[in-house]
Amino acid sequence: MTTSLYAKPVMPRIIVRPALVTLLIHGVLLYVLMTNWDASDRDIIRVKPAPNVINARLVDVSEISKPKPAPVKPRVVTVKPKPNPKPMPPKPRVAVSKLKPEKPMQKPVPKTKPPPAKPVPNQRSSRDILAAIVRDELASVDAQAQATETADEMSASFVSLIKRTVVRSWSRPPSARNGMECELSIQLIPTGEVVSVKLIRSSGNSAFDRSAINAVEKASAFPELRKLPSREFEKNFRRLTLIFKPEDLRY
Amino acid sequence: MEEQLSLLELVWNASFTVQLVMVILLLASIFSWYMIANRYLYFRNANDEMYRFEERFWSGIDLSQLYREGSEKGSDGSVILGMESIFRAGFKEFSRLAQQPEMDSEAVIEGSRRAMRVAVMREEERLERHLAFLASVGSTSPYIGLFGTVWGIMHSFRGLANSTQATLATVAPGISEALVATAMGLFAAIPAVLAYNRFASRVEVLSNRYDTFVDEFSGILYRQAFALRSREKKSV
Repeated sequence: MTTSLYAKPVMPRIIVRPALVTLLIHGVLLYVLMTNWDASDRDIIRVKPAPNVINARLVDVSEISKPKPAPVKPRVVTVKPKPNPKPMPPKPRVAVSKLKPEKPMQKPVPKTKPPPAKPVPNQRSSRDILAAIVRDELASVDAQAQATETADEMSASFVSLIKRTVVRSWSRPPSARNGMECELSIQLIPTGEVVSVKLIRSSGNSAFDRSAINAVEKASAFPELRKLPSREFEKNFRRLTLIFKPEDLRY
Repeated sequence: MEEQLSLLELVWNASFTVQLVMVILLLASIFSWYMIANRYLYFRNANDEMYRFEERFWSGIDLSQLYREGSEKGSDGSVILGMESIFRAGFKEFSRLAQQPEMDSEAVIEGSRRAMRVAVMREEERLERHLAFLASVGSTSPYIGLFGTVWGIMHSFRGLANSTQATLATVAPGISEALVATAMGLFAAIPAVLAYNRFASRVEVLSNRYDTFVDEFSGILYRQAFALRSREKKSV
Protein backbone atom coordinates (compact mmCIF):
# COMPACT_ATOMS: atom_id res chain seq x y z
CA MET A 1 0.00 0.00 0.00
CA THR A 2 2.75 2.42 0.89
CA THR A 3 4.41 1.99 -2.42
CA SER A 4 1.30 2.59 -4.44
CA LEU A 5 0.41 5.75 -2.64
CA TYR A 6 3.70 7.54 -2.90
CA ALA A 7 5.01 6.12 -6.11
CA LYS A 8 3.94 7.22 -9.53
CA PRO A 9 0.21 7.69 -9.45
CA VAL A 10 -1.52 4.46 -10.17
CA MET A 11 -4.14 4.83 -12.81
CA PRO A 12 -6.92 2.36 -13.16
CA ARG A 13 -6.77 0.74 -16.55
CA ILE A 14 -9.46 2.33 -18.66
CA ILE A 15 -8.36 1.62 -22.17
CA VAL A 16 -10.63 -0.64 -24.11
CA ARG A 17 -13.88 1.21 -23.83
CA PRO A 18 -12.50 4.65 -24.74
CA ALA A 19 -10.70 3.11 -27.68
CA LEU A 20 -13.92 1.51 -28.87
CA VAL A 21 -15.85 4.72 -28.42
CA THR A 22 -13.23 6.65 -30.34
CA LEU A 23 -13.22 4.20 -33.21
CA LEU A 24 -16.98 4.13 -33.29
CA ILE A 25 -17.35 7.88 -33.40
CA HIS A 26 -14.83 8.36 -36.14
CA GLY A 27 -16.15 5.41 -38.10
CA VAL A 28 -19.71 6.66 -37.94
CA LEU A 29 -18.67 10.15 -38.87
CA LEU A 30 -16.66 8.94 -41.82
CA TYR A 31 -19.47 6.71 -42.98
CA VAL A 32 -22.05 9.47 -42.75
CA LEU A 33 -19.82 11.88 -44.57
CA MET A 34 -19.01 9.47 -47.33
CA THR A 35 -22.54 8.34 -47.95
CA ASN A 36 -24.05 11.79 -47.81
CA TRP A 37 -21.35 13.22 -49.91
CA ASP A 38 -21.77 10.61 -52.58
CA ALA A 39 -25.50 10.44 -52.35
CA SER A 40 -25.99 14.02 -53.38
CA ASP A 41 -23.93 13.39 -56.47
CA ARG A 42 -25.09 9.92 -57.21
CA ASP A 43 -28.64 11.10 -57.36
CA ILE A 44 -27.89 13.32 -60.24
CA ILE A 45 -25.85 10.71 -61.96
CA ARG A 46 -28.41 8.01 -61.58
CA VAL A 47 -31.03 10.04 -63.34
CA LYS A 48 -28.69 10.89 -66.12
CA PRO A 49 -29.98 8.12 -68.29
CA ALA A 50 -33.48 9.36 -67.69
CA PRO A 51 -33.27 11.98 -70.41
CA ASN A 52 -32.68 8.95 -72.54
CA VAL A 53 -29.43 10.02 -74.06
CA ILE A 54 -30.29 12.49 -76.64
CA ASN A 55 -29.46 11.22 -80.03
CA ALA A 56 -28.66 14.34 -81.84
CA ARG A 57 -29.67 13.11 -85.20
CA LEU A 58 -30.31 15.66 -87.80
CA VAL A 59 -33.86 15.17 -88.69
CA ASP A 60 -37.30 16.25 -88.57
CA VAL A 61 -37.91 19.71 -87.46
CA SER A 62 -40.04 19.55 -90.52
CA GLU A 63 -42.16 16.84 -89.14
CA ILE A 64 -43.35 19.01 -86.36
CA SER A 65 -45.10 21.34 -88.66
CA LYS A 66 -47.05 18.47 -90.16
CA PRO A 67 -50.48 17.57 -88.98
CA LYS A 68 -50.18 14.93 -86.38
CA PRO A 69 -52.09 11.97 -87.70
CA ALA A 70 -50.74 12.32 -91.17
CA PRO A 71 -47.14 11.34 -90.48
CA VAL A 72 -48.08 8.54 -88.18
CA LYS A 73 -50.21 6.50 -90.44
CA PRO A 74 -48.02 6.08 -93.45
CA ARG A 75 -45.07 5.21 -91.31
CA VAL A 76 -47.00 2.70 -89.35
CA VAL A 77 -47.51 0.40 -92.16
CA THR A 78 -44.21 0.72 -93.82
CA VAL A 79 -41.16 1.00 -91.71
CA LYS A 80 -41.98 -0.28 -88.35
CA PRO A 81 -38.56 -1.59 -87.34
CA LYS A 82 -36.75 1.45 -88.64
CA PRO A 83 -37.80 4.64 -86.96
CA ASN A 84 -38.22 7.25 -89.54
CA PRO A 85 -35.31 9.57 -88.85
CA LYS A 86 -32.74 7.29 -90.33
CA PRO A 87 -34.14 6.78 -93.80
CA MET A 88 -34.34 10.50 -94.08
CA PRO A 89 -32.31 12.20 -96.74
CA PRO A 90 -28.70 12.69 -95.80
CA LYS A 91 -28.99 16.43 -95.70
CA PRO A 92 -27.22 17.24 -92.49
CA ARG A 93 -28.43 20.78 -91.98
CA VAL A 94 -31.62 21.05 -90.19
CA ALA A 95 -32.25 24.37 -91.71
CA VAL A 96 -32.10 22.78 -95.08
CA SER A 97 -34.29 19.90 -94.31
CA LYS A 98 -36.88 22.32 -93.13
CA LEU A 99 -37.23 23.49 -96.63
CA LYS A 100 -38.19 20.08 -97.85
CA PRO A 101 -40.75 18.86 -95.47
CA GLU A 102 -42.50 16.76 -98.01
CA LYS A 103 -39.70 14.50 -98.99
CA PRO A 104 -39.67 12.13 -96.09
CA MET A 105 -43.37 11.84 -96.40
CA GLN A 106 -43.46 11.12 -100.02
CA LYS A 107 -40.96 8.40 -99.93
CA PRO A 108 -42.87 6.25 -97.55
CA VAL A 109 -46.13 6.91 -99.26
CA PRO A 110 -45.53 4.85 -102.38
CA LYS A 111 -44.50 1.94 -100.23
CA THR A 112 -47.60 2.28 -98.18
CA LYS A 113 -49.79 1.60 -101.06
CA PRO A 114 -49.59 -2.19 -101.02
CA PRO A 115 -49.97 -2.93 -97.31
CA PRO A 116 -53.20 -1.10 -96.49
CA ALA A 117 -54.89 -4.40 -97.07
CA LYS A 118 -53.26 -5.74 -93.97
CA PRO A 119 -55.47 -6.83 -91.09
CA VAL A 120 -56.60 -4.06 -88.87
CA PRO A 121 -55.38 -5.28 -85.46
CA ASN A 122 -51.84 -5.53 -86.69
CA GLN A 123 -52.00 -2.03 -87.86
CA ARG A 124 -53.23 -0.80 -84.58
CA SER A 125 -50.63 -2.53 -82.49
CA SER A 126 -47.79 -1.33 -84.63
CA ARG A 127 -49.25 2.08 -84.50
CA ASP A 128 -49.05 1.97 -80.74
CA ILE A 129 -45.43 1.11 -80.85
CA LEU A 130 -44.63 3.80 -83.27
CA ALA A 131 -46.64 6.25 -81.33
CA ALA A 132 -44.37 5.62 -78.42
CA ILE A 133 -41.36 6.18 -80.60
CA VAL A 134 -42.51 9.48 -81.98
CA ARG A 135 -43.99 10.70 -78.78
CA ASP A 136 -40.97 12.80 -78.07
CA GLU A 137 -41.52 14.97 -81.04
CA LEU A 138 -45.24 15.10 -80.78
CA ALA A 139 -45.24 15.86 -77.12
CA SER A 140 -43.27 18.99 -77.65
CA VAL A 141 -45.68 20.19 -80.29
CA ASP A 142 -48.78 20.06 -78.22
CA ALA A 143 -47.21 20.69 -74.87
CA GLN A 144 -49.74 23.36 -74.24
CA ALA A 145 -52.62 21.11 -75.04
CA GLN A 146 -51.45 18.41 -72.75
CA ALA A 147 -51.31 20.51 -69.67
CA THR A 148 -52.24 17.51 -67.64
CA GLU A 149 -49.57 15.19 -68.94
CA THR A 150 -47.45 13.39 -66.43
CA ALA A 151 -44.13 14.68 -65.30
CA ASP A 152 -42.28 12.08 -67.31
CA GLU A 153 -43.92 13.03 -70.50
CA MET A 154 -43.28 16.62 -69.71
CA SER A 155 -39.59 16.14 -69.21
CA ALA A 156 -39.47 14.02 -72.35
CA SER A 157 -40.92 16.88 -74.28
CA PHE A 158 -38.35 19.23 -72.86
CA VAL A 159 -35.65 16.79 -73.78
CA SER A 160 -36.75 16.77 -77.35
CA LEU A 161 -36.92 20.51 -77.29
CA ILE A 162 -33.37 20.75 -76.09
CA LYS A 163 -32.39 18.27 -78.71
CA ARG A 164 -33.95 20.26 -81.47
CA THR A 165 -32.40 23.50 -80.34
CA VAL A 166 -28.99 21.96 -80.15
CA VAL A 167 -29.28 20.22 -83.48
CA ARG A 168 -30.34 23.44 -85.10
CA SER A 169 -27.16 25.15 -84.04
CA TRP A 170 -24.92 22.25 -84.85
CA SER A 171 -22.73 22.63 -87.87
CA ARG A 172 -20.52 19.70 -88.40
CA PRO A 173 -17.03 19.78 -89.72
CA PRO A 174 -16.34 18.13 -93.05
CA SER A 175 -14.26 15.54 -91.27
CA ALA A 176 -17.31 14.10 -89.52
CA ARG A 177 -17.75 10.43 -90.28
CA ASN A 178 -20.52 8.05 -89.66
CA GLY A 179 -19.29 6.03 -86.71
CA MET A 180 -18.22 8.99 -84.67
CA GLU A 181 -19.79 9.61 -81.37
CA CYS A 182 -18.99 12.05 -78.65
CA GLU A 183 -20.60 12.57 -75.32
CA LEU A 184 -21.06 15.90 -73.61
CA SER A 185 -22.21 16.63 -70.12
CA ILE A 186 -23.95 19.93 -69.79
CA GLN A 187 -25.03 21.68 -66.67
CA LEU A 188 -28.14 23.80 -66.61
CA ILE A 189 -29.58 26.21 -64.14
CA PRO A 190 -33.30 26.62 -63.58
CA THR A 191 -33.56 29.60 -65.87
CA GLY A 192 -32.52 27.29 -68.68
CA GLU A 193 -29.10 28.71 -69.21
CA VAL A 194 -26.17 26.45 -69.86
CA VAL A 195 -23.49 27.02 -67.26
CA SER A 196 -20.96 24.47 -68.31
CA VAL A 197 -20.26 22.07 -71.10
CA LYS A 198 -17.85 19.26 -70.60
CA LEU A 199 -16.58 16.65 -72.97
CA ILE A 200 -17.02 13.28 -71.34
CA ARG A 201 -16.14 11.02 -74.21
CA SER A 202 -14.29 12.20 -77.22
CA SER A 203 -15.03 10.92 -80.68
CA GLY A 204 -11.35 10.92 -81.48
CA ASN A 205 -11.78 13.79 -83.85
CA SER A 206 -11.15 17.08 -82.14
CA ALA A 207 -12.91 19.11 -84.80
CA PHE A 208 -16.01 17.04 -84.34
CA ASP A 209 -15.83 17.40 -80.58
CA ARG A 210 -15.43 21.09 -80.88
CA SER A 211 -18.37 21.39 -83.21
CA ALA A 212 -20.52 19.57 -80.69
CA ILE A 213 -19.40 21.81 -77.85
CA ASN A 214 -19.96 24.85 -80.02
CA ALA A 215 -23.45 23.69 -80.82
CA VAL A 216 -24.35 23.59 -77.17
CA GLU A 217 -22.67 26.88 -76.46
CA LYS A 218 -24.44 28.47 -79.36
CA ALA A 219 -27.76 27.24 -78.14
CA SER A 220 -26.66 28.65 -74.76
CA ALA A 221 -30.09 28.76 -73.16
CA PHE A 222 -33.38 26.94 -73.22
CA PRO A 223 -35.70 29.49 -71.72
CA GLU A 224 -38.61 27.09 -71.97
CA LEU A 225 -37.14 25.16 -69.08
CA ARG A 226 -38.38 27.87 -66.82
CA LYS A 227 -41.81 26.36 -67.11
CA LEU A 228 -40.59 23.10 -65.70
CA PRO A 229 -41.40 22.48 -62.04
CA SER A 230 -38.24 22.79 -60.06
CA ARG A 231 -38.40 19.27 -58.73
CA GLU A 232 -38.41 17.86 -62.22
CA PHE A 233 -35.64 20.16 -63.16
CA GLU A 234 -33.47 19.02 -60.29
CA LYS A 235 -34.17 15.42 -61.12
CA ASN A 236 -33.49 15.38 -64.80
CA PHE A 237 -32.08 18.58 -66.11
CA ARG A 238 -29.47 19.82 -63.70
CA ARG A 239 -27.03 17.63 -65.54
CA LEU A 240 -27.71 16.35 -68.98
CA THR A 241 -25.76 14.01 -71.11
CA LEU A 242 -25.86 14.57 -74.83
CA ILE A 243 -24.56 12.11 -77.37
CA PHE A 244 -23.72 13.45 -80.74
CA LYS A 245 -23.53 11.11 -83.68
CA PRO A 246 -23.89 11.92 -87.33
CA GLU A 247 -25.81 8.84 -88.24
CA ASP A 248 -27.27 10.12 -91.41
CA LEU A 249 -24.00 10.72 -93.17
CA ARG A 250 -23.40 8.48 -96.05
CA TYR A 251 -19.67 8.30 -95.98
CA MET B 1 -13.61 12.21 -64.36
CA GLU B 2 -13.35 14.95 -61.78
CA GLU B 3 -16.93 15.88 -62.04
CA GLN B 4 -17.77 14.23 -58.77
CA LEU B 5 -15.74 15.37 -55.85
CA SER B 6 -15.67 12.56 -53.43
CA LEU B 7 -14.40 13.29 -49.98
CA LEU B 8 -11.64 10.75 -50.25
CA GLU B 9 -10.47 12.11 -53.54
CA LEU B 10 -10.39 15.57 -52.09
CA VAL B 11 -8.21 14.45 -49.25
CA TRP B 12 -6.09 12.27 -51.47
CA ASN B 13 -5.37 14.95 -54.03
CA ALA B 14 -4.61 17.64 -51.51
CA SER B 15 -1.17 19.11 -51.41
CA PHE B 16 1.35 17.68 -49.00
CA THR B 17 1.11 20.43 -46.42
CA VAL B 18 -2.65 20.24 -46.31
CA GLN B 19 -2.45 16.48 -46.00
CA LEU B 20 -0.01 16.81 -43.14
CA VAL B 21 -2.34 19.21 -41.41
CA MET B 22 -5.19 16.79 -41.92
CA VAL B 23 -3.22 13.91 -40.46
CA ILE B 24 -2.29 15.98 -37.41
CA LEU B 25 -5.87 16.98 -36.91
CA LEU B 26 -7.12 13.45 -37.34
CA LEU B 27 -4.67 12.26 -34.70
CA ALA B 28 -5.65 15.11 -32.42
CA SER B 29 -9.27 14.22 -32.85
CA ILE B 30 -8.68 10.53 -32.21
CA PHE B 31 -6.61 11.15 -29.11
CA SER B 32 -8.92 13.75 -27.71
CA TRP B 33 -11.92 11.49 -28.16
CA TYR B 34 -10.02 8.70 -26.50
CA MET B 35 -9.26 10.94 -23.58
CA ILE B 36 -12.76 12.29 -23.39
CA ALA B 37 -14.12 8.78 -23.08
CA ASN B 38 -11.38 7.82 -20.67
CA ARG B 39 -12.00 10.82 -18.46
CA TYR B 40 -15.72 10.36 -18.63
CA LEU B 41 -15.45 6.82 -17.31
CA TYR B 42 -12.88 7.82 -14.73
CA PHE B 43 -15.00 10.64 -13.37
CA ARG B 44 -18.03 8.46 -13.26
CA ASN B 45 -16.10 5.85 -11.30
CA ALA B 46 -14.67 8.48 -8.97
CA ASN B 47 -18.11 9.88 -8.30
CA ASP B 48 -19.61 6.47 -7.61
CA GLU B 49 -16.73 5.52 -5.35
CA MET B 50 -17.02 8.75 -3.47
CA TYR B 51 -20.71 8.35 -2.71
CA ARG B 52 -20.30 4.74 -1.77
CA PHE B 53 -17.41 5.49 0.53
CA GLU B 54 -19.07 8.47 2.17
CA GLU B 55 -22.13 6.44 2.90
CA ARG B 56 -20.01 3.72 4.41
CA PHE B 57 -17.91 6.19 6.36
CA TRP B 58 -20.84 7.93 7.99
CA SER B 59 -22.74 4.72 8.65
CA GLY B 60 -21.08 4.55 12.08
CA ILE B 61 -18.69 1.78 11.17
CA ASP B 62 -15.54 1.37 13.21
CA LEU B 63 -12.79 3.22 11.35
CA SER B 64 -10.13 0.56 11.83
CA GLN B 65 -12.63 -1.92 10.44
CA LEU B 66 -13.08 0.32 7.41
CA TYR B 67 -9.32 0.52 7.04
CA ARG B 68 -8.98 -3.25 7.12
CA GLU B 69 -11.67 -3.65 4.48
CA GLY B 70 -9.75 -1.28 2.29
CA SER B 71 -6.55 -3.27 2.76
CA GLU B 72 -8.33 -6.44 1.72
CA LYS B 73 -9.63 -4.70 -1.36
CA GLY B 74 -6.15 -3.42 -2.13
CA SER B 75 -4.60 -6.84 -1.80
CA ASP B 76 -7.14 -8.15 -4.30
CA GLY B 77 -5.42 -6.05 -6.87
CA SER B 78 -7.95 -3.27 -7.30
CA VAL B 79 -6.67 0.26 -7.05
CA ILE B 80 -7.95 2.39 -4.22
CA LEU B 81 -8.89 5.81 -5.43
CA GLY B 82 -10.53 8.99 -4.40
CA MET B 83 -11.86 9.61 -0.98
CA GLU B 84 -10.93 6.21 0.30
CA SER B 85 -7.26 6.68 -0.44
CA ILE B 86 -7.35 10.00 1.40
CA PHE B 87 -8.96 8.31 4.35
CA ARG B 88 -6.40 5.54 4.34
CA ALA B 89 -3.49 7.94 4.14
CA GLY B 90 -4.80 9.97 7.05
CA PHE B 91 -5.76 7.03 9.16
CA LYS B 92 -2.51 5.20 8.65
CA GLU B 93 -0.46 8.23 9.56
CA PHE B 94 -2.66 8.80 12.58
CA SER B 95 -2.34 5.28 13.91
CA ARG B 96 1.38 5.26 13.29
CA LEU B 97 1.93 8.53 15.12
CA ALA B 98 -0.49 7.70 17.93
CA GLN B 99 1.59 4.66 18.81
CA GLN B 100 4.54 6.85 19.64
CA PRO B 101 3.89 8.07 23.16
CA GLU B 102 6.25 11.01 22.93
CA MET B 103 4.08 12.69 20.25
CA ASP B 104 1.46 14.97 21.68
CA SER B 105 -2.01 15.09 20.18
CA GLU B 106 -1.42 18.31 18.18
CA ALA B 107 1.55 16.77 16.43
CA VAL B 108 -0.39 13.61 15.66
CA ILE B 109 -3.22 15.59 14.07
CA GLU B 110 -0.81 17.78 12.20
CA GLY B 111 0.97 14.74 10.80
CA SER B 112 -2.17 13.01 9.65
CA ARG B 113 -3.50 16.21 8.09
CA ARG B 114 -0.30 16.52 6.13
CA ALA B 115 -0.59 12.97 4.90
CA MET B 116 -4.15 13.61 3.83
CA ARG B 117 -3.17 16.78 2.03
CA VAL B 118 -0.60 14.85 0.07
CA ALA B 119 -3.19 12.24 -0.80
CA VAL B 120 -5.59 14.96 -1.96
CA MET B 121 -2.86 16.36 -4.17
CA ARG B 122 -2.34 12.98 -5.69
CA GLU B 123 -6.02 12.58 -6.29
CA GLU B 124 -6.22 15.91 -8.00
CA GLU B 125 -3.28 15.01 -10.12
CA ARG B 126 -5.07 11.88 -11.21
CA LEU B 127 -8.24 13.76 -11.94
CA GLU B 128 -6.53 16.42 -13.96
CA ARG B 129 -4.58 14.03 -16.07
CA HIS B 130 -5.10 14.50 -19.82
CA LEU B 131 -7.10 17.64 -19.25
CA ALA B 132 -4.19 19.76 -20.41
CA PHE B 133 -4.13 17.80 -23.61
CA LEU B 134 -7.81 18.41 -24.19
CA ALA B 135 -7.32 22.11 -23.52
CA SER B 136 -4.50 22.41 -25.99
CA VAL B 137 -6.34 20.44 -28.66
CA GLY B 138 -9.33 22.67 -28.13
CA SER B 139 -7.37 25.84 -28.45
CA THR B 140 -4.87 24.98 -31.16
CA SER B 141 -6.59 22.70 -33.60
CA PRO B 142 -8.76 25.43 -35.14
CA TYR B 143 -5.58 27.30 -35.86
CA ILE B 144 -3.92 24.28 -37.35
CA GLY B 145 -6.96 23.72 -39.53
CA LEU B 146 -6.97 27.35 -40.51
CA PHE B 147 -3.35 27.12 -41.45
CA GLY B 148 -4.13 24.18 -43.74
CA THR B 149 -6.96 26.10 -45.32
CA VAL B 150 -4.98 29.23 -45.90
CA TRP B 151 -2.17 27.22 -47.37
CA GLY B 152 -4.52 25.32 -49.67
CA ILE B 153 -6.25 28.47 -50.84
CA MET B 154 -2.93 30.15 -51.44
CA HIS B 155 -1.97 27.20 -53.52
CA SER B 156 -5.09 27.17 -55.61
CA PHE B 157 -4.92 30.88 -56.25
CA ARG B 158 -1.39 30.54 -57.41
CA GLY B 159 -2.61 27.88 -59.80
CA LEU B 160 -5.27 30.31 -60.94
CA ALA B 161 -2.66 32.92 -61.72
CA ASN B 162 -0.84 30.47 -63.95
CA SER B 163 -3.80 29.21 -65.87
CA THR B 164 -4.88 31.19 -68.87
CA GLN B 165 -8.57 30.63 -68.55
CA ALA B 166 -9.69 31.51 -65.09
CA THR B 167 -12.94 29.88 -64.19
CA LEU B 168 -14.54 29.04 -60.93
CA ALA B 169 -13.96 25.38 -61.71
CA THR B 170 -10.19 25.79 -61.58
CA VAL B 171 -10.17 27.14 -58.03
CA ALA B 172 -13.19 25.43 -56.58
CA PRO B 173 -11.66 22.00 -55.95
CA GLY B 174 -8.62 23.56 -54.31
CA ILE B 175 -10.71 25.68 -52.00
CA SER B 176 -13.01 22.83 -51.23
CA GLU B 177 -10.08 20.63 -50.30
CA ALA B 178 -8.59 23.40 -48.22
CA LEU B 179 -11.79 23.90 -46.33
CA VAL B 180 -11.82 20.26 -45.33
CA ALA B 181 -8.86 21.12 -43.11
CA THR B 182 -10.82 23.79 -41.25
CA ALA B 183 -13.75 21.46 -40.88
CA MET B 184 -11.49 18.83 -39.37
CA GLY B 185 -9.94 21.37 -37.04
CA LEU B 186 -13.32 22.41 -35.77
CA PHE B 187 -14.40 18.84 -35.50
CA ALA B 188 -11.46 18.12 -33.25
CA ALA B 189 -11.71 21.34 -31.29
CA ILE B 190 -15.36 21.61 -30.39
CA PRO B 191 -15.71 18.38 -28.41
CA ALA B 192 -12.34 18.96 -26.80
CA VAL B 193 -13.31 22.41 -25.54
CA LEU B 194 -16.70 21.26 -24.33
CA ALA B 195 -15.21 18.26 -22.59
CA TYR B 196 -12.45 20.33 -21.06
CA ASN B 197 -14.87 22.79 -19.54
CA ARG B 198 -17.08 20.05 -18.24
CA PHE B 199 -14.24 18.04 -16.77
CA ALA B 200 -12.57 21.07 -15.25
CA SER B 201 -15.72 21.91 -13.37
CA ARG B 202 -16.02 18.33 -12.21
CA VAL B 203 -12.45 18.36 -10.98
CA GLU B 204 -13.34 21.45 -9.02
CA VAL B 205 -16.38 19.81 -7.49
CA LEU B 206 -14.54 16.64 -6.60
CA SER B 207 -11.56 18.37 -5.05
CA ASN B 208 -13.90 20.54 -2.98
CA ARG B 209 -15.54 17.39 -1.74
CA TYR B 210 -12.15 15.95 -0.88
CA ASP B 211 -11.15 19.07 1.03
CA THR B 212 -14.37 18.98 2.96
CA PHE B 213 -13.80 15.37 3.76
CA VAL B 214 -10.29 16.07 4.98
CA ASP B 215 -11.64 18.68 7.40
CA GLU B 216 -14.41 16.44 8.59
CA PHE B 217 -12.13 13.53 9.07
CA SER B 218 -9.50 15.50 10.88
CA GLY B 219 -12.24 16.70 13.25
CA ILE B 220 -12.90 13.09 14.11
CA LEU B 221 -9.20 12.35 14.47
CA TYR B 222 -8.85 15.35 16.75
CA ARG B 223 -11.44 13.99 19.08
CA GLN B 224 -9.83 10.58 19.04
CA ALA B 225 -6.34 11.90 19.61
CA PHE B 226 -7.32 13.93 22.62
CA ALA B 227 -9.32 11.08 24.03
CA LEU B 228 -6.37 8.76 23.51
CA ARG B 229 -3.85 11.04 25.14
CA SER B 230 -6.04 11.85 28.13
CA ARG B 231 -6.66 8.11 28.65
CA GLU B 232 -2.93 7.51 28.51
CA LYS B 233 -2.33 10.29 31.01
CA LYS B 234 -4.89 8.84 33.37
CA SER B 235 -3.45 5.36 33.11
CA VAL B 236 0.09 6.62 33.70
